[in-house]
Amino acid sequence: MKTVVLLSLSVSLLASCATPKVGQHPAANTPVEATAKEKLLKSEATDDLDDYADAGQVNDPLEKLNRVTFWLNDGFYTVFFRPLSKGYEKVLPKFVRRGIDNVFENVKYPVRMANCVLQGKGERAGLETQKFVTNTLIGVGGLVRVSDKINPIADIPAEDCGQTLAQWGFGHGPYIVIPLFGPSSLREFVGLAGDYAAHPANYGLYLYNGNGNHDWMYIPPPSNTLRSMPDQLEKYDAATQEAVDPYLSARTAYIQQRDEAAKK
Amino acid sequence: MSYRVLLTLLLALATQPNVCTAASAEPETKLKGAVNEVLSVANRSNSKAAIATGVRPLLQRYISFETMTRRAVGPGWRSFDSSQQARATQLFTTLVIRTYANKFTPGQLPEIQYRAATEPATGRVDVPTTVVYQGNRYTVTYRIEQPGWLITDVVIEGVSMIANYRSQLDATFKKGGAEAVVQSLESSVSKQP
Repeated sequence: MKTVVLLSLSVSLLASCATPKVGQHPAANTPVEATAKEKLLKSEATDDLDDYADAGQVNDPLEKLNRVTFWLNDGFYTVFFRPLSKGYEKVLPKFVRRGIDNVFENVKYPVRMANCVLQGKGERAGLETQKFVTNTLIGVGGLVRVSDKINPIADIPAEDCGQTLAQWGFGHGPYIVIPLFGPSSLREFVGLAGDYAAHPANYGLYLYNGNGNHDWMYIPPPSNTLRSMPDQLEKYDAATQEAVDPYLSARTAYIQQRDEAAKK
Repeated sequence: MSYRVLLTLLLALATQPNVCTAASAEPETKLKGAVNEVLSVANRSNSKAAIATGVRPLLQRYISFETMTRRAVGPGWRSFDSSQQARATQLFTTLVIRTYANKFTPGQLPEIQYRAATEPATGRVDVPTTVVYQGNRYTVTYRIEQPGWLITDVVIEGVSMIANYRSQLDATFKKGGAEAVVQSLESSVSKQP
């Protein structure tokens, strides 16, 4: 219930500050404004092929607060997440961890599938279904990602709710650093809530919450978080380790990554 | 192979957009050569530091560090004097090489598939590749430019290395000018990862 309220609240918030791509506000796309923007980008360029002036840029009105959250998160990762992640990697051998990753990714199929449909990508929805059936049946419930060896379904870009919102014309809105979770934007946060709600690993929580006979339902969600921790920390390190300003580096990397995913 | 099959195949190849045009053939060949040389050095080295030292002369031949540094700094570059430009380039080169070398685990080689190159502008070719490394798949795109068809950016999973530094260094410049940029690069280089 809470998730639904949160979701509808965020959607209405997002709708109020979204930047539609087409139609609704023709004034926003007048040639005058385009030229002004082009001029600005050109003045920022260091040569003819330099197109970096607006790459990975996002509105960050909450920068001061975001920087504090970022800094607290960093400390939290060091004290809790890193030891936890290291412990997980130590206890389970790599092939077991890979199997667990594969199962969780396979079971997330409805999220990817639904977002393919919501974006009108029928062919991709079909490929996702083929991949799910192949990995579930031949790959023993998704433990082995057999699809890696089958070309058309080896590398399907994974769709999610954030990308669907992007495709529907919503801009990022303000950049937000979420406590514990890290970089996000208003749009992506709403998308994340949608992904979480639709992820079958969390279904037990809605179906059996409050029913004492189903304590197992508390196992999948934190397991999913734990198993994805080593990858998430690796991404975080890649964006921050060699950075001049880790906050800006993580922000630019995150926005670029999400924009690229939305384009695919 | 019958003529009809051959013809269909040729036709299919010819109608694929931007695939292996004459313009992209040279940079693609050059990139493949560079990647193979880097991999053989990485394969011989037994530590990340050794990889960084080993690939340095190679990367200096295939990468335009001057272009990379200028674009990473952004419009502030124009107000750098020549010694500041030289220092910034030298520091940024070290940073890029170290970042690149850190991505390798000695003894484990990635498997690389080259995909169809595109030509977003005259004098610029983007070569996308799929890299399978330690069981994970990554999309890595090399941006290669004239003169000399040198690498000017590496884009991993949509994240451009140069765009990332641009946002940081441009902000640093706006706060403290050229000296602040050089100093921030110095402190990043001297930090042990």
